[in-house]
Amino acid sequence: MSSADSMTDSAAGSSRPGISERHAFREGMKIAAPTLPGIFAWGMVTGMAMVKSGLTIWQALGMTFIVFAGSAQLASLPLIAADASIWVVFLTALVVNLRFVIFAAAIGPHFAHLPWYKRLWYGYFNADITIGLFPRRFPAETLDKPEGKVGFFTGIGYPNWCAWQGGSVAGILLASQIPQSWGIGYAGTLALLCITIPLVINKAALAGVVVASAVAVAAAGLPYRLGLLLAVIVGMAAAMAVDMIIDRTGRESA
Amino acid sequence: MSALEVWLTIGLMTLATLITRTSLFLLGGAVRLPPRVQHALRYAPAAALAAIVVPDLVLTGGALDVSLANPKLLAGIGAAVFFLATKRLLSTIVLGMALFTALRVML
Repeated sequence: MSSADSMTDSAAGSSRPGISERHAFREGMKIAAPTLPGIFAWGMVTGMAMVKSGLTIWQALGMTFIVFAGSAQLASLPLIAADASIWVVFLTALVVNLRFVIFAAAIGPHFAHLPWYKRLWYGYFNADITIGLFPRRFPAETLDKPEGKVGFFTGIGYPNWCAWQGGSVAGILLASQIPQSWGIGYAGTLALLCITIPLVINKAALAGVVVASAVAVAAAGLPYRLGLLLAVIVGMAAAMAVDMIIDRTGRESA
Repeated sequence: MSALEVWLTIGLMTLATLITRTSLFLLGGAVRLPPRVQHALRYAPAAALAAIVVPDLVLTGGALDVSLANPKLLAGIGAAVFFLATKRLLSTIVLGMALFTALRVML
């Protein structure tokens, strides 16, 4: 019902772009709404983990409001606590965020008609749930039809940002009420675990995860957590190798 | 890390966010990554996250501890199974923390 409505609006969009975008914004918001409690909870866990790892409240607030990248933030905390080089933290954040490059490769071209500062702005809201929801509504075939895209994208992206930041601030402020012995930081590990599992999309990804885990454990003694970078590189190579083997055997049997 | 270094780190992490989230928005349709690079990058996040999570579960004070006396490992396995069955992030964290706490107190 609502998608039929939005199609009528999109058709009229050229003469009434404001109404079409506002309608698309509401549509995006409706679709994103069920994910918001989860995003809030994860923000909360990240907020707590930041304070528990030894960041001050101001550092934690600064990190959540401008970095806006949960897995990179969680990944950085043990490194900061272990006094790793700031460049190792930077590289780790880049690596952990690499999935956003892939997301942007899929979604970015839909906004190619906009001026650069708007692309920068919308790109900042490029996140896990936008890639989960946007391409389903606007697949690649709609590339040259911009109507409703900004509305729909921001209808997902803005509430996502608000839920995340709301949760983070709650977590940062609540963290001091919760004793260290509860091991609340473990909740951050659990959250990362839950994000890792859906990324294991095939045998190659599984091989990458297993190899990266083994290398990370074996190389945990290396300084500056360099074992992490080594683990990612070897893990990616393992995933690629498995893909190539599957490709070859597939071709031979076909 | 000193306070200054922490803020420098936060600044660099913001840069990492901007580079990864926005660079291909800024380039628009002008540049496409080579298929091989896209292919390899697809596996990077899973490898990176696993390389963070797994040592957290199996290392105790730097030593490998794959035993029934390791509450983080046991609770992690329980949480993973529950998440695979339900796909519910929030409930998984709550359950995992409950398991971890119960095991920590009992073991």
